[in-house]
Amino acid sequence: MSTTKAKLKKPTLKVTPSSRVMNVSTSGVLRVNHSSTYARSINASVSRKSFSLAADSKILDKSSVQTPKHTVQVFDENGKDVTPQPLYQPDPAAVMSKHSKIFASDTSGGTMSDFYSTAYQTTTNASFAGPFTRSVFGSSTVSRGSQSTMESMNEEIEDPSSKRDVSISLSDVQVRREEVKELIKEEMLDEVVDRYLIESETLWLLHMPAVSVSVDSEEAESVKERNNLYMELCKNRMGNDKYVERSMQTFNGAPKTKEVQCEAITMVDAATTATTWDMYDSFRSAGLGEAALSPDTDKASGPEIVSNHRLDPTRAPERTMSVISTTSIASASSSRIEMEPFVVPSEDEPDPELIMQSEKFQQDLFVMERVILENIYQPKLAAYRQLPTLEDPDIVPKVVPTVVSRREESSLDEESTLTPALERLWSFSCELTSGHNVSSMAWNKRNPDLLAVGYGQFDFKDQKSGLICCWSLKNPTWPERVFTCESGVTTLDFSASNASQLAVGMHDGSIATYNVESREKTPVIDSSDCAHKHTSPVWQVRWIDHERGASGEDKGETLISVSADGRISKWFLRKGLDCIGPVLPQSLKVVGNLSITLTSPCSQGPLYRITWSPFCSDVFLSCSSDWTIQLWRQDLFTPVLGFTSTQSAVYDVMWSPKWATVFGAVNEGRVEIWDLGASILDPTIVSLASPGVKLTSLLFATETDCILVGDSDGQVSVYQLKNLTVGEGTQVDALDDIIGSTLASQL
Amino acid sequence: RPDVIQPGYEPGTVVTDAVPQTTAPLGSPSEAEVEETLKRIQTHKGVIGTIVVNAEGIPIRTTLDNSTTVQYAGLLHQLTMKARSTVRDIDPQNDLTFLRIRSKKHEIMVAPDKEYLLIVIQNPSE
Repeated sequence: MSTTKAKLKKPTLKVTPSSRVMNVSTSGVLRVNHSSTYARSINASVSRKSFSLAADSKILDKSSVQTPKHTVQVFDENGKDVTPQPLYQPDPAAVMSKHSKIFASDTSGGTMSDFYSTAYQTTTNASFAGPFTRSVFGSSTVSRGSQSTMESMNEEIEDPSSKRDVSISLSDVQVRREEVKELIKEEMLDEVVDRYLIESETLWLLHMPAVSVSVDSEEAESVKERNNLYMELCKNRMGNDKYVERSMQTFNGAPKTKEVQCEAITMVDAATTATTWDMYDSFRSAGLGEAALSPDTDKASGPEIVSNHRLDPTRAPERTMSVISTTSIASASSSRIEMEPFVVPSEDEPDPELIMQSEKFQQDLFVMERVILENIYQPKLAAYRQLPTLEDPDIVPKVVPTVVSRREESSLDEESTLTPALERLWSFSCELTSGHNVSSMAWNKRNPDLLAVGYGQFDFKDQKSGLICCWSLKNPTWPERVFTCESGVTTLDFSASNASQLAVGMHDGSIATYNVESREKTPVIDSSDCAHKHTSPVWQVRWIDHERGASGEDKGETLISVSADGRISKWFLRKGLDCIGPVLPQSLKVVGNLSITLTSPCSQGPLYRITWSPFCSDVFLSCSSDWTIQLWRQDLFTPVLGFTSTQSAVYDVMWSPKWATVFGAVNEGRVEIWDLGASILDPTIVSLASPGVKLTSLLFATETDCILVGDSDGQVSVYQLKNLTVGEGTQVDALDDIIGSTLASQL
Repeated sequence: RPDVIQPGYEPGTVVTDAVPQTTAPLGSPSEAEVEETLKRIQTHKGVIGTIVVNAEGIPIRTTLDNSTTVQYAGLLHQLTMKARSTVRDIDPQNDLTFLRIRSKKHEIMVAPDKEYLLIVIQNPSE
């Protein structure tokens, strides 16, 4: 009595011999019988039937129960469920009665009882077959046939061949019917269809016999007679010997109370919030496969995504414990755990250290530091970027102590707001750099917020080890990169093509390049192995961009260095730096600012710097230790103009990148900004250095009106040029005019 | 800068090319950097306190007393979860990286993560 479900992948059904069910395949037409021991339904239009053979005779008796369950499911080749639904449910009551009549003598069971009964049933219930009245005929023939075969079948039930006979005979019948049906389909619309209506047997649904009878009916007399007799009887009953009254008493058992107690059923409310991201995470992790999920995770609470830097696998059970605990907390979010106050202390030791070592933590610290500094330096940075500085409404304004330069200006009350001045914004310094002398500064070519500062002594005596710090504007208190060098750094330059490459020239003549992107502390390449390296301090290194490759292979940038030993070398960047000897600086001056130690008749001391004007390509400035700054033109051998302000060596001079007539100069004690358009005799702005500190280098900021001044104490101070009105445009014409007029006046 | 080459300097001297690498005193260099950065943060102007708590709320590093630390950690954890939930509800591919709460008296900055919470309280006006 097994219920079978035959799943069809192909139209043919599988034969399961154990259950003795013979399911014959259907073709295309999605009509298959539900075969089961209990199923009685038949789809009348099925061509070939599948029928189940009940194993027991008991089935017959039980077959009264019509349970059309445990049906066969049919799937066509696409896996779609095409199981047909029964057209009608057989009426259990009707079948039962007929059924018992037919098979009263049949005890051998295992017959096509199901099939026959239904076949018979179809005839009886023809009216319920609905539109398939044609099938009624078919079924009637079937029933006839079935009845005829039934007798012959009673003895041959177990015989498979006979079954087949039956099936064949039946199928013949069925085929006929099926054919008929097919025809209908094709020409259904055109044919005239005959319908025959037959009155079915009356079905009694409810029969309540009447209690009273009409006076006119035939039974009236007899009923009345009976009534009278009864009344007589009742009258005679009193005192009649035939009737005796007796009373009885039944014993009631003594009631006994019995108590039962069960454990309290605790009810817990659990709620969870399914947020959009929670579903997204679950979906993603489910898509990633089970391997991604922690095996202990309680699925009800939502799978927990294994993070990339999951610290310790042994902590997983602890986490899941806490995860599970959340589900028992009412209205808990299904994602992250609540804080678990009790943690096994032995596991604490490695854990915090792992956090401290994780890269993400480092990154977060980095960002946090910058955020804090941004809070502190926000007004200064805003001034640097030439944004309006807003007053914080929560901050109570305090008196800010003025800096040296400011004190000078504040003495001139009304004009202090209008005279050009330098306002000190902040300074780059930290404990690493204190005591070092700033020798050179360079901006990064790609990121204008990045500044490289080289520290090294100018004099030969007390040579400390050199230092290179890469500072970012976003953190003036600590450099982003620190490189230490053996000897003092004298010059720096960032490459333009490879923005993270920094070339460094040192006091001992060696040259190195660093990659500032990496955290490596060592130079990428070094000139120490080169046989032709410089033997005296390198004054300047510069990356020169070659538009045309001289020897065909250098189409990018090359590194040029100038040293005090009188050589200008061009370096190849291979495994080590290798130079190709002295190079004549013909094309160099067009692009770069190169410092050449000239001895010219008009300057008594060595020149510290020569810088070409960014606007007029044949004009350059020089500054030297003879307290003068001189303006030259390329074709003239005498300086056009000379500027002197104080009696101290001028260490650095630089043209302003914004105005052709403005340049800045740094001597020992002060910073001077000259505006040739305003005056060629005096500097426009003068700013004194703090006492005891010598100012050693100067750099203009490229996009804002700020200058950076390095001093001998390792500080790089940022000043903003205020109220410097130069006029429209770059003032190139003004410079030309000045030079022209000067030359004219000299003649 | 010297104007002439000093007599004491010999041109033939070879300079050794070994540049000494800065070694960290404890463990791996990155760990030392982490400690250094944390210390620097604590000494910045206006910083009232720095707290690092792990995912369970246990303080790993803190400059405040324990009760304050636990209070901050608990409250900010919940707020961070809510903030993260908000961000991700709008776009599940997005995630919260930093949270700043500016109040009248000071500013609380939180860098949240699955494993820890980094909290810094700063008074910017100081």
